[in-house]
Amino acid sequence: MKAKKRVVTSADRAPVRRRTPTVRRVKSAFVTPTPAQARPRASVPAPTATAAELAVLDAIDLSVDLGRGLMLENPILVASGTFGYGVEYGEVVDVQRLGAICCKGTTLRPRIGNVTPRVTETPAGMLNSIGLQNPGVDAVVERYTPIWQGWRTAVIVNVAGESVADYVEVVRRLDGVPGVAGIELNISCPNVGKGGIQFAIDAEAAASVTAAVRRVTDLPLLVKLSPNVADVRPIARAIADAGADALTAVNTLSGIAVAPSRRKPLLGNVYGGLSGPAIKPVALRVVYEVAQVVDIPIVAIGGVTDLADVLDYLAVGAVAVQVGTAIFADPTLPVRLIDELAAACLERGFDSYRPLIGTALPSRPGPPSAKGVEYRP
Amino acid sequence: MRLLAAELVDSREILPGQWIQAFHAPHLANGSRAGQFVHVRPGDWSGLVLRRPFSINTADPASGIVTIHFRTIGRGTEWFTRLRAGDAIDMLGPLGRPFEVDPRSRHLLLVAGGLGMAGVRMLADEAIRDGREVTLLFGAASAREVYPSSLLPDEVEYVVATDDGSMGHAGFVTELVPEYEAWADQAFACGPQPMLAALARLAATRRGRMGVAKLGRKRGGGKMDPVGSPAARRKAFLQVSMEQNMGCAVGACLGCVVMSSSGTPQRVCREGPVFSAEEIAWEAGW
Repeated sequence: MKAKKRVVTSADRAPVRRRTPTVRRVKSAFVTPTPAQARPRASVPAPTATAAELAVLDAIDLSVDLGRGLMLENPILVASGTFGYGVEYGEVVDVQRLGAICCKGTTLRPRIGNVTPRVTETPAGMLNSIGLQNPGVDAVVERYTPIWQGWRTAVIVNVAGESVADYVEVVRRLDGVPGVAGIELNISCPNVGKGGIQFAIDAEAAASVTAAVRRVTDLPLLVKLSPNVADVRPIARAIADAGADALTAVNTLSGIAVAPSRRKPLLGNVYGGLSGPAIKPVALRVVYEVAQVVDIPIVAIGGVTDLADVLDYLAVGAVAVQVGTAIFADPTLPVRLIDELAAACLERGFDSYRPLIGTALPSRPGPPSAKGVEYRP
Repeated sequence: MRLLAAELVDSREILPGQWIQAFHAPHLANGSRAGQFVHVRPGDWSGLVLRRPFSINTADPASGIVTIHFRTIGRGTEWFTRLRAGDAIDMLGPLGRPFEVDPRSRHLLLVAGGLGMAGVRMLADEAIRDGREVTLLFGAASAREVYPSSLLPDEVEYVVATDDGSMGHAGFVTELVPEYEAWADQAFACGPQPMLAALARLAATRRGRMGVAKLGRKRGGGKMDPVGSPAARRKAFLQVSMEQNMGCAVGACLGCVVMSSSGTPQRVCREGPVFSAEEIAWEAGW
């Protein structure tokens, strides 16, 4: 089928192009000052800081070392699964300011995820059961790493799998790819039958997958702990001993919701992972416990919605925090937290945020006195 | 997509438990098309962690006013009803992809079920402004839930069906469709999923039932547009606006997917909320 030819009879007349009717933009004839502009916005504080004040904030050292050369400009990260691949929020969020981005859980092969409904709001939190929908590691490397390469912000790829071999193969394919700053091992996804939760509830299994991944990559390696265990300390210690550079605590808590009809569970997958402010006390407890048994950095996550939450996590021993669920309500929160943290340091007279870390931990017994050491039993 | 403060101008309960609220948001009023939605943050922050997605019900570029239409079903929506004129709330939008109207379509059939009116309402305005004829079929449970015709443009032919027969046709709104599908060039629907699935079945067999022989020339000159592209959707007889529980509304969380006929879940917030009917796997049970 050939397209109809259009004959132009006069040279100076442009061919008449059929236009699709588009939305006509009608400009208002007069502009009234809108009250919305006049009043300060409720949720986003007006940028009142002057250039001088900003320079002072810049002078505060927020940088954090998560081990193996993973230096972040600030300790505010965005959590896996809540920020996609960093490109989705577009102009709304200044991605370049974030400490790091943990991307959506990535598996060896593409996964279509769980049946819907996948998310629901619960008191002070939400349940999700996405089921690790992702295009597979090869597609992630092809589509997103060229974009990440140009970013100032580090991108930590969250890796999930069903077996040790899966994890190893995914990490092998990510190793050495420009744009990948680190790996976060998701050994604790509660939403898929074989999502690796079996690795997070057993110290030996957790150590074996960590060690196996450690052998194939020199990338900084974070391991994400599950709160769905009786005692997280032996698991954390085993992971640290197996060569992890940092720990992320915690993943979501397993939970369910009931459909309004009361005839079935609400989520398509029945089980979902609880996140949001509802889990903050649990996550705080886990960070508090883990910080006392491992020496590697801990990245805290769970219900961070304001600066007070960040300070709480730092106080119980975390060196950085991830913001997750709160991004859905306020995408600009992570960037704002960076400034607020710097301001909080300034207010306390610190030139770095490090004095804020671990202040609520029980004081450790000091190093044993060298005096009379030979008499110790 | 932009994060903006919208000031409430007017709020009223048009039907029991159903509200229409008007907000002053010039960016949205000028920059959005029928089918798109906004993600609104309830200010009651005690225990609510998610925004609420609402279809843009109407948008008036001249006054900079957009309206949303919702039913109070929980604490979030109830919080909105307590807003007073002058209160500013936080909106993210416009989001999603709009309805695609073929420039050659003269007669548009809109089908709405219940709150689905909010999904197609703005398309009626757009179509009338572009000089098209619009018939709007509306289905509700009973007469007390029928969208008031005074809130529709005069040019729209408005046909009502109620499940209990208390107004208009007694039965489902989908039963009215066969009467109009020969007249219609394109159809656009929003409502409960069973209604959309029934419409999709009708649309799939439409040519056969109407005795339209498929001759050599395909619409669009035989050139194939990629599935889901605006051009492909423009050629579809039926476009539907889908609903799903939503998290981020920008495509990051993958919470709001529907299963597509190609077997890959499609995000309602990003690839949708408008899809052509053949893009959706209706029997997949997602």
